[in-house]
Amino acid sequence: MIEEPYRWVEAIANRREYIETQLAAGSPIAAVGYRDGILFVTLGRVRQKIFEIYDRIAMGAIGHPGDIERLRLAAIELASTEGFTRSAADVSLRRLAHYSLSPVMKSAFEQVYGAPYLARLLFAEIGSSSKEDLFLRIDYDGAIAADGLTGQPRQRFAVLSGTRQSAELMEKFLQKEHVTDGALPDAINVAFDAWSVGRMAMGENASKELPERDAVRKHREEELAKAGIEAAVLERDRKSAIRYRTLADEELRSSLER
Amino acid sequence: MDKPPLALDQNFSGASEDFPALLRRKGLLQIAPDPTGAAGNHPFVQTESTTILAFKFAGGVLVAGDRRATAGNTVVYDRADKVLEIDRHSIMAIAGVPATAWEMARVLEHSFQYFRRSQLQEMSVDGKVRALSKLLRDNFGFVMQGVGVVVPIFATYDGNSKPEARLYFYDAMGAQFEVTDYAATGSGSPAVRGILYYENNWGDKKLQQLNEDEAIAIALRALDTAAEADTSTGGVDRSGKIFPLIKTVSREGITTLPEQKIASVFKQKVA
Repeated sequence: MIEEPYRWVEAIANRREYIETQLAAGSPIAAVGYRDGILFVTLGRVRQKIFEIYDRIAMGAIGHPGDIERLRLAAIELASTEGFTRSAADVSLRRLAHYSLSPVMKSAFEQVYGAPYLARLLFAEIGSSSKEDLFLRIDYDGAIAADGLTGQPRQRFAVLSGTRQSAELMEKFLQKEHVTDGALPDAINVAFDAWSVGRMAMGENASKELPERDAVRKHREEELAKAGIEAAVLERDRKSAIRYRTLADEELRSSLER
Repeated sequence: MDKPPLALDQNFSGASEDFPALLRRKGLLQIAPDPTGAAGNHPFVQTESTTILAFKFAGGVLVAGDRRATAGNTVVYDRADKVLEIDRHSIMAIAGVPATAWEMARVLEHSFQYFRRSQLQEMSVDGKVRALSKLLRDNFGFVMQGVGVVVPIFATYDGNSKPEARLYFYDAMGAQFEVTDYAATGSGSPAVRGILYYENNWGDKKLQQLNEDEAIAIALRALDTAAEADTSTGGVDRSGKIFPLIKTVSREGITTLPEQKIASVFKQKVA
């Protein structure tokens, strides 16, 4: 039946709807640049969602754990062999995404008899200065959105969420509140606020407007009391070539403003 | 990144594969000839022209190596680094064919990181020790052809094990030997082993009780003694002011001792 083009388009549309429904509950992830690096933050209850990919590359993901795992291992494998045969400086997130991950996700999505990847990925690569930082998002259909590849004004943050509305509100919030050259504790606070904004915007009856600051903080407090924090940083000036570091729970909670 | 990534295959099982296996699958790691067949027409030449040593002292493990690289009777390089950092708490010192040894160190370094990133936990000390052993065994075909012998020392520090400081030496086939006090390999090592045995038994202090300066002094004396009789060992180059490379590993991680520090100990206690 899907030999007919319009059936194919219909099948793709159905599958898009199905995947969107599957991803809709995913807890948001915020990645924000600060003075000395890039911070990844999320809150979760069940499993790890922020990962080290290579010396200067980190990944956050929402979706099906099996699909995330395959994409994560593929990214690590590609970066590691590239870093081994050439050098760590030659491992490029741009190439990893555009050349390897995106085409594979696109073709899995469009082959309607096979299984698509139920996953949304958010990558960041730290450069030698904040101007060279790169934020990049790959969706389940292989679509890429990047900040740092064109001459446009940069925003130095990126978000990932289960629904479009949630992601848009998080971005709107960060455009307003995010300070590019802040200190890490400030970045932690703004990232958690952005997470709360994203979380509050999920579900059927959620508001389409940015919530009040007090409401954000109240929601954040409630969620922090019942869920585990997960956060990691890519640090620009580290003695070691490996820039990725997981932040301990105490380090995070002590930075949070009450 | 020239071939389509296999990890994106439905049949992929990344968890069961270590980094050298991944490199071989991608054709990025040369596979050694079968050691039994390789021995045939080639006389077995044992060439491990260098001296490396390591011993435990009060501050962890000290690993030192001379700087000379030779090709036959020719000195080709006098600033070779034979003491290499593999990760934050592991040092590998190499005696043998430099091309193979440096490549091996590179594979090992990436192996540990690949494991941590893919398995989401640090590789255990036993796993690391075994990984090097496996690389040596895989390389044995080249050794039998007389072109790739490597005899390394591996030192690591693990706050959760007992003892915390761990020290191993290997043979060319990949057998690993854990030692309690000291290890030395390479062409100048018999002299070094004599000195370290003597110091540990009849010296002023046992090696494990030496402070950093005392440990540096013993390492410099041992390498200088090795160089006295072994043309392949550089020892301390007094005219060129080239000193051995010394690193220590402790709970805090690896420290490369600055050259001024080594020079000053040399001046006070060795020269």
